[in-house]
Amino acid sequence: MKNRLRVLRAERNWSQADLAQRLEVSRQSVNAIETGKFDPSLPLAFKLARLFESTIEAIFSDES
Amino acid sequence: MDCTTTSPAARRYLRRFLVTMLLYVVFIVLAVSVFVHYRPTGPLAWLLAVLPALAIILQIAAYGLYLAEETDEFQKNLAVQSMVWGIGATLSVTVTWGFLENFVQLRHMDLFLVYPLFCGLSGIAYGLVGRRYR
Repeated sequence: MKNRLRVLRAERNWSQADLAQRLEVSRQSVNAIETGKFDPSLPLAFKLARLFESTIEAIFSDES
Repeated sequence: MDCTTTSPAARRYLRRFLVTMLLYVVFIVLAVSVFVHYRPTGPLAWLLAVLPALAIILQIAAYGLYLAEETDEFQKNLAVQSMVWGIGATLSVTVTWGFLENFVQLRHMDLFLVYPLFCGLSGIAYGLVGRRYR
């Protein structure tokens, strides 16, 4: 699934490790989600949306 | 059952794994020593023979606990995927070995080797599955 995580992270000057710490997951998890290789669960997607003060739809898109 | 993360659940699993490995070594040494020196029979022989397996069963339970406690869904996904590949590979190897034993007299594989085989194959699977996400 495509997403804007890299852009949102860059806007805040956060590394993958910084985001992982805020989400309480591993850096590998952030990398897998960011590169579209792993789709997060709904609770984790909501957590991301809250963290970036955005909506799930604004972060993720289901275009292939 | 490989685990390379440093999540609290993974750290607890590592501790439990080490404890069960220690138990396994103690039980193996105990069982072998008693059988060599005293040649027990009856219920005591059964109990001693089962003790090392009990340590392995505890180790399997520790992995089940890890899967229940791991909150990082990506790491849990990796662990489950590698376990499923490990189960498939272990079944494939052992069923093939079994037929080879019957038909071409291949050396007998002791059943207690199935668990270390599963651990090894799951470990390889963990590495291969992990590469897909890099």
